Amino acid sequence: MTAPSDSASAETPAVRCRSLGVSFGAVQALRDVSLDLVPGRIHALVGQNGAGKTTLAKVLGGLQAPNTGEVHVGGRKIPPGDVRAAQIAGLSMVHQHFSLPPSFTVAEALELAAARKDGRSFFRRTELQRKWQNEVAELGGPTILSTRIRDLHVETRQSLEIVRALAGDARILLLDEPTALLTPAATDQLFERLLRLRDNGVTILIVLHKLREVAAVAETVSVLRDGELVLGPSEMAEVSEGQLSDAIVGPASGADRTVGMAPAAEAAQETLLELAGVSTRESAFELGLNEINLRVESQEIVGIAGVEGNGQRGLVSAIAGLTPIADGSMRLGGVDATRAGPARRRLRGLRLVPFDRNTEGISRSAPLWLNQSALRLVGRHPRRFPLISLRQYKRQAAEAMDVWRVRYDTVAQPAESLSGGNVQRLILSRELAPGVEVLVAAQPTRGLDFSATNFVRRSLRELRDGGAGVLLVSSDLDELFELSDRLLVMYGGRIVARFEAPYDRRTVGDAMTGALR
Amino acid sequence: MEQILATTLRSAAPLVLVATAGVFAFRAGIFHLGLEGLMITGAFTTVAVGDATGSVELGILAAVGVNLVLSALYWWVIGPLGANVIIAGLGLTSIGLGGTAFALGAIFDKRGSIFTDVVLPRPVRGITSGAGVIVSELSILVWITPLIVLTAWVVLRRSRFGLRLAAVGEYPFAARSVGVNPSIVRLQALLIAGALCALGGAELSVGALRNFTENMTNGRGFIAFVAVIFGAWHPIGAALAGLFFGFADAIGIQSQINITERVPREFVLMIPFVITIFAVWLGGLWRRRSLEAEAGYAELREPDY
Repeated sequence: MTAPSDSASAETPAVRCRSLGVSFGAVQALRDVSLDLVPGRIHALVGQNGAGKTTLAKVLGGLQAPNTGEVHVGGRKIPPGDVRAAQIAGLSMVHQHFSLPPSFTVAEALELAAARKDGRSFFRRTELQRKWQNEVAELGGPTILSTRIRDLHVETRQSLEIVRALAGDARILLLDEPTALLTPAATDQLFERLLRLRDNGVTILIVLHKLREVAAVAETVSVLRDGELVLGPSEMAEVSEGQLSDAIVGPASGADRTVGMAPAAEAAQETLLELAGVSTRESAFELGLNEINLRVESQEIVGIAGVEGNGQRGLVSAIAGLTPIADGSMRLGGVDATRAGPARRRLRGLRLVPFDRNTEGISRSAPLWLNQSALRLVGRHPRRFPLISLRQYKRQAAEAMDVWRVRYDTVAQPAESLSGGNVQRLILSRELAPGVEVLVAAQPTRGLDFSATNFVRRSLRELRDGGAGVLLVSSDLDELFELSDRLLVMYGGRIVARFEAPYDRRTVGDAMTGALR
Repeated sequence: MEQILATTLRSAAPLVLVATAGVFAFRAGIFHLGLEGLMITGAFTTVAVGDATGSVELGILAAVGVNLVLSALYWWVIGPLGANVIIAGLGLTSIGLGGTAFALGAIFDKRGSIFTDVVLPRPVRGITSGAGVIVSELSILVWITPLIVLTAWVVLRRSRFGLRLAAVGEYPFAARSVGVNPSIVRLQALLIAGALCALGGAELSVGALRNFTENMTNGRGFIAFVAVIFGAWHPIGAALAGLFFGFADAIGIQSQINITERVPREFVLMIPFVITIFAVWLGGLWRRRSLEAEAGYAELREPDY
């Protein structure tokens, strides 16, 4: 472990923490983390999933009380787990997940977040809007104040999160993976904004996933691995990218063994999935699809790009058979499947890696073997006897999970006990079992660490090379560029642009924001 | 006609009070199925303590006190102890219904019902003709109910406490992230709800009537619950819904008086419930556009973060 920088420096650190330890049950999320952040600079915090980044940010922000250690903000000690105290000391947090209630108007949401010191218990709407006018001036001025949070674009919501965080005169800003949902252009804007704030003397700690983004905005970088601070804070100029990724990943561990895929489809090019003029009704939570035309052939990966909330969820759920297709038709392997239910579609070789693996991909409370073999209960496998052999199911589940290197203790443990990467492996072990013709993969690597991400990407490529078709929905442009043979962009429930490799980041980005119609 | 109007006010007042209680709980994210139970403990305690002390004010005060204790208990069971909100709510209702019936036997050595001399003051007096007779029988609680509803509206929609309450109900993480403890806010909401239920119960036993009868709430707590949903969780909306259900009740009562000869009694008694079901269906259609309530429903569970 690297010792924190000399504490006898002239300036009081904006944030100082000493030997922080946090454990959740048997899991040690943070071990003895000590960190000093010099005021007026942009500090990046990086690390793999589960390295403890979010936990550290939460402890600093007062949202999580540490088991050991203490936090000082601006030289003052903060009582553990006290959000108010941290805010009063000038520290404010922008969360990974949006923290503004969707039904609130912008003015109400800001008022909710404001410190209680200006003390009036009751308000008028107009008065509230006047009060927050200046804060949101650059986001669209007074008109935005009566807009409900849920009606805002994701970029505006993100900006508003920062406005909210700064509302109480915050001098220190913690941002937890703020770029996860943003387009490249919006990320650039965010970074410009952070630089301006820095110039005004605000100290910033930003949790990031991508080294490219770290290089773009940060002045110092710290690395967490397995809950320990293994590097930093070090000046960006003094660390090479190689050193950084070594620190993140740790001493070389055995690389994942390549998974041999059993291809189901023969090598000849054929259309596996075809949507012709598919429209769906708009629901309360999801945009309707508008005349979607797309084809996925064998041996290709078709990427779907788009800012989140532009119909991607609707598309996946329409293909999976969870949302009825109101207009148009869908064919699976050349056979009409417009009215087929989810089970029949799956029997035709459709497989799904859903958006939210923890709620849609697995049953959290069910044991691993049941999750692993769930698909087999749908199938029409020859049954001599109408009962199933649990022992056989468990054994086969264990074998499949071993092939996919799911880390587990027993097949009977509940699925919720797995980490994110392992849950994704479990899902892949189920969905990519022999019989797969078309895989719809929605955000398959979101929130996974480097090695798990690489594993998933390699699996998708191997699946394609084995003859299957893949529809890859992702908000990570790097991933789409790397994997897709063709790329479609969704905007407002339509496909607005189609690209072939090589891709131009700017043009694709423009299409995503609707600038290119 | 005037009769129906006055009867509507009298039937609606307890419903509106309890529905307002429900709005506080709903907005804090609690599907409060204990309203019925709290209503009847309110009705009983007012009569019991009012009768013993001879003071209706003391009776109501005691009813509020009992309900505060019961609400805190409910909070403790669903919050710190983590019990299911719906089951615990129904349990609270069972305790209320069973407990008051038991207490009736234990304290007054009676079964079924008791009469009382204490009664809520009737502020409008001296009208002796026409509909005025019924208006002059309306208790003070009926008159101040609109005031309570209006206060609830201001508190819920125009105060910082209201914002915190709504945030806790809709998206607890939002509240936690600004240093608000959702658990405490839920307790506050439940205490307010408990007090309002006590008033609703009191109006029933010593406002509209002068007795306590076993199971006298007769599902009114649940109708108030429905009124909250029908009114889209809005205090004014819920009050209007309560008023509407009161109207349905009044029609039932009036037609019972007028047309019993020709129509079976049971059928007439059915009317309010048929209207209620119809109204809920209608409310569901209408509310589909207002996402607010649905969002609240979806966020009942804590988001994983």
